[in-house]
Amino acid sequence: MEKWKEFKGKWEISLALFLIIEILIFGFINPRFLKIKVLMNSANDFVTVAIIALFMTLVIITGGIDISIGSVVGLSSVVMGLLWQELGFNIWFALSIAIMVGALCGAFNGFLVAYVGVQAMVATLGTSFLYAGISLVIIGFSGISPAEGITGFPDSFRALGHGELFGVPSSLIIFVLLIISVYIILHKTTYGRRVYLTGINKAAAEFSGIKTKLVILSTHMLVGMGAAISGMYITSYLSSSRADHGATLTLSVITAVVLGGTAITGGEGSIVGTALASVIIGLMTLGLQMAGLSTQFVGIGIGLLLVISVAIKSSLGEGNLFSDIKRKIKSKVSG
Amino acid sequence: MSEKKSLIRLKEIYKSFADNEVLKGASLELSEGEIVAIIGGNGAGKSTLMKIIMGIYPLDRGDIYIENEKIHMSSPSVALEKGIYLVPQEPRLFPNMTVEENVVIGFNQNKAALGEKLRELIKQLGWNISLSRKAATLSIAEQQLVEILRGLLRQAKILILDEPTSTLTFNEIKSFFKLMKDLQAKGIGMFYITHRLTEVFEIATSVVILRDGEITVSGPVSDFTKEILIKGLMPDNAENVKEGIENNQVDHEKDPVLKVDSLSGYGFNDVSFSIYEGEILGLAGVVGSGRTELAEAIFGMGEITGGDVFLNGKSIKGYKTKEIINLGLNYVPEDRHLNGIFDMADVRLNITSAILSRISKVFINSKKEKEITQKYIDDFRIKVTGQDQSLKSLSGGNQQKVVIGRILSSNPKVIILDEPTRGIDAGARGDVYKIIYQLKKLGLAILLISSDFEEIYELSDHAEVMYHGSNTVELSKEDITMDTLTQAAFGA
Amino acid sequence: MTIIKRIFKKREITALAFLIVLFLGVGLRNPDFINMQSVSTVLKGSVIYILLAVGMTFVLLTGGIDVSVGATLGISAAISATMIRDGSSVVLSILVALAIGIIIGLINGIGVAIVKVPAIIMTLGILGITRGTMIVYTNGRWVENLPDFFKKASQASFGGLNHYFVLAVITVALVQLYFSKAKTGRFFAAIGDNVEGAVLVGIPVKKMMIIAYVVSGFCAAIAGVIFASQVGFVTSNTGFDIEMVAIAACVLGGVSLSGGIGSVIGSSIGAIIMTAINSALIFLKVPSFWNKSIQGLLLILIVVSDVLIHKYFQEKARKQRLSAKSSFVGGDE
Repeated sequence: MEKWKEFKGKWEISLALFLIIEILIFGFINPRFLKIKVLMNSANDFVTVAIIALFMTLVIITGGIDISIGSVVGLSSVVMGLLWQELGFNIWFALSIAIMVGALCGAFNGFLVAYVGVQAMVATLGTSFLYAGISLVIIGFSGISPAEGITGFPDSFRALGHGELFGVPSSLIIFVLLIISVYIILHKTTYGRRVYLTGINKAAAEFSGIKTKLVILSTHMLVGMGAAISGMYITSYLSSSRADHGATLTLSVITAVVLGGTAITGGEGSIVGTALASVIIGLMTLGLQMAGLSTQFVGIGIGLLLVISVAIKSSLGEGNLFSDIKRKIKSKVSG
Repeated sequence: MSEKKSLIRLKEIYKSFADNEVLKGASLELSEGEIVAIIGGNGAGKSTLMKIIMGIYPLDRGDIYIENEKIHMSSPSVALEKGIYLVPQEPRLFPNMTVEENVVIGFNQNKAALGEKLRELIKQLGWNISLSRKAATLSIAEQQLVEILRGLLRQAKILILDEPTSTLTFNEIKSFFKLMKDLQAKGIGMFYITHRLTEVFEIATSVVILRDGEITVSGPVSDFTKEILIKGLMPDNAENVKEGIENNQVDHEKDPVLKVDSLSGYGFNDVSFSIYEGEILGLAGVVGSGRTELAEAIFGMGEITGGDVFLNGKSIKGYKTKEIINLGLNYVPEDRHLNGIFDMADVRLNITSAILSRISKVFINSKKEKEITQKYIDDFRIKVTGQDQSLKSLSGGNQQKVVIGRILSSNPKVIILDEPTRGIDAGARGDVYKIIYQLKKLGLAILLISSDFEEIYELSDHAEVMYHGSNTVELSKEDITMDTLTQAAFGA
Repeated sequence: MTIIKRIFKKREITALAFLIVLFLGVGLRNPDFINMQSVSTVLKGSVIYILLAVGMTFVLLTGGIDVSVGATLGISAAISATMIRDGSSVVLSILVALAIGIIIGLINGIGVAIVKVPAIIMTLGILGITRGTMIVYTNGRWVENLPDFFKKASQASFGGLNHYFVLAVITVALVQLYFSKAKTGRFFAAIGDNVEGAVLVGIPVKKMMIIAYVVSGFCAAIAGVIFASQVGFVTSNTGFDIEMVAIAACVLGGVSLSGGIGSVIGSSIGAIIMTAINSALIFLKVPSFWNKSIQGLLLILIVVSDVLIHKYFQEKARKQRLSAKSSFVGGDE
């Protein structure tokens, strides 16, 4: 019992252990997996999920959720592409506006959730239709083929997704920089503290003079920004701006956050956990591919990881299947 | 009593949660037409015992006999089948269903026939309640009636009433007791959990005291007096709070620190009072008399429709909670779990939650946080393993001390304490009283809201009694007695 | 005020009114929209969503959510279609598909009700697993060349109404009857309304929750078979994001995502609305790329007004209650 409790307290440590085991297993199956270059380049694929997951951690800590991120990724990508191609904006200016659009989308989600009082799941379900719809409308009016999207970006922009610095791929640099920034925001600032307190007990936070509505709105705004940043990265990496770039991200993002130890009911979670979980998922994708399995197995792997990790976590608490069984055994023994 | 048929008998019930042994061999019996009052402090195991009878918790050891037949109480449906019904302290109705749906749910019979039976029953009882109303629109008292209807329609022979009067008004209590007597005459047995000793003598046939998981005292009510029961309830090491505390005089020449002037809002009407430096003003009143609504309005969390509030001579009407805290007024809310504590967070996070921007700019100043936290842990004798112990694992009393620490860390001039000792044990209660006295000595103005009149009597320099939203009666120190408080609070 | 209150309380009625206004409004611009053929096209197209919404309603009433239905639809469509293509009997293929739906629902239900994994997480995980399994099963290829009789079954009609739509209507009617008349019918809503209260009145909470997810999986499986028959082939993307449409349909029809409120009639009207918007745009000659934004906007408008109306009445009732208490100054009641 004590051991289990300790284990629970050190979720990040068990994640790190799991990560090492994962690397060893995949390395055993295919030694090429262990090459530093290969490992580092895997960031190219998982960073899109990781960026959003880092910010999503804050939203889920406040007790919310955002399932519109996929649509925001697509929308920001389309907005940037069009500003650049159709209106001839400077590419970096277009990128900044696209990120602002992401923040705006998030802020609208946050407004619906915090100020109007719509459940986060419902509000972001509605906006996920809306934002995806807006991208389609924009594309529809511009006459661009939705299947091909906008291509032909300048090299300077493509470097965002393909560049290297001292042999380290840009994706990894972006990932590390964002881990550090979001870590500081959540764990070192009074803002981060307010996020936790709001998630643990919103009413008590109000009594402590914390403006919980503003806190909730801001976390949604941040994840909207995160989704847009991720959208910029994908656009650069794939050198095309399309509305459906983020379509499959939601499952992976929420998995990364929850696997990272954040409670879906709010109040607890950590950036280190989310970052580790993102890497675990990313390397699993790579490892399964290199082990010769098709990418289809990745979904199965992620799904299993999500369900099993949460089942283990909830079984460590009181009042569920496992503790019921334990109690029954105990009462049988003593009675 | 032996000639009466035994309805239920519990034999040496044991129950633990994790490492905490809540019931240690409690035995209890209820016969036809009996009302057994169960009294005991918080955490004595009353609710756990009742939930075991109801099949909500499985018992670890012990036996339950219903009409002398041993029963394995595996789930609430077994209990219901055996004619047991629990009317919980807070009614557990389905807010989006009508009264009728609420009552008939879970029955095996035809709904139309049940509805007929229900109408018949209500007519018999002479109640006036519309069956088509949604439960969400009912008052607490009405909700309780619905709960009782549920039990009666199931032809329950054993009713468990868990502090049913705690949320009722004076008149509602009177009619509730009449109902209980009617049921008693029909041979229904009732367990009656209560905190109010006067009620024990008014309604119960016998009484048991549950202390620390064991039945320590039991017998017919006629064998006891209130004093004996109080003695039976007191922990062995109870100390007298008032001893060793000298009473410093309040200076009424100065301007009042908090002045409430004909304040009106939803739930309270035309309330006026003043509190001076170093004074404890007791605001007595039963639950639902508008005390909490008043306090929340002063604290910037409820609407004010008339009148004004002055803090150090400055109107704070319409200010935001954060500004009010910064101006020097802070509030210990009534419901600790709902509004007071951050249960998953540690002691430090709790204590500093109201002063985040005061001790840190953008980044958290952990050194200062640790200092402040340690100060309150030491000052208030908060029993913790460290600053990073989570509030969840603290006792009610220590949790309350943490909340008071949080309030004080904002350096208030005025504090509002709303039911500061509800749900905490006698030892910790003494500690909280001492803290309140210390604060008074430091010159704080304290508004003490309580429905525990002994608390008002012990601590206050001056008392106001709330009744139906207004402070109808004002009592000076000499006039505060249990009698005057009770009379005024119940509108007698 | 009370009339407005009543109307808004009967969300099925507002949803139906909206649907009628939609048809009439669009019909005014283009009368072809309200002829028999186009109405029946809308109804035919809504069958899958209706079935999904019926199953989803069970889960939502208990206060849960099931986002795995799209994947369940996909895998049951793929498996039944493959079996039928390869010459298995139709009955057997359908039974296999339904069994798969039930098993997926059972896993979801056990995970949520007994292991206590939050519903969104449990069904999200199962979504990933099921979708992956489906693609592994089909090797990522389309299932095509289905026999004609199977495809033609989707054309069959009964007095002008598509067979499948008739099936959906019967399902909705039976479920509605069950919810309103059967002893256990109200149990699902009771669990979502107040789970502790449900335990106290002897409702087998865990069992009913598992049943809700099983029903949802079962409905998704039927929808999958019908999808295969209607479309005539199954792509590896089949059922993608369709759970969102199903949830949106329920919300439009007045089912609350916090549980306890809603009816299958409401959610199936919602499902028809979601389909009707699509056709309406075609008849209004509005480009179809507007479809999703309009659905989203509508969804947001509806939930926002729901919340605001609810808040308004709740706040008003609270103020009345409090004022009533404080007005008896010193007097007798």
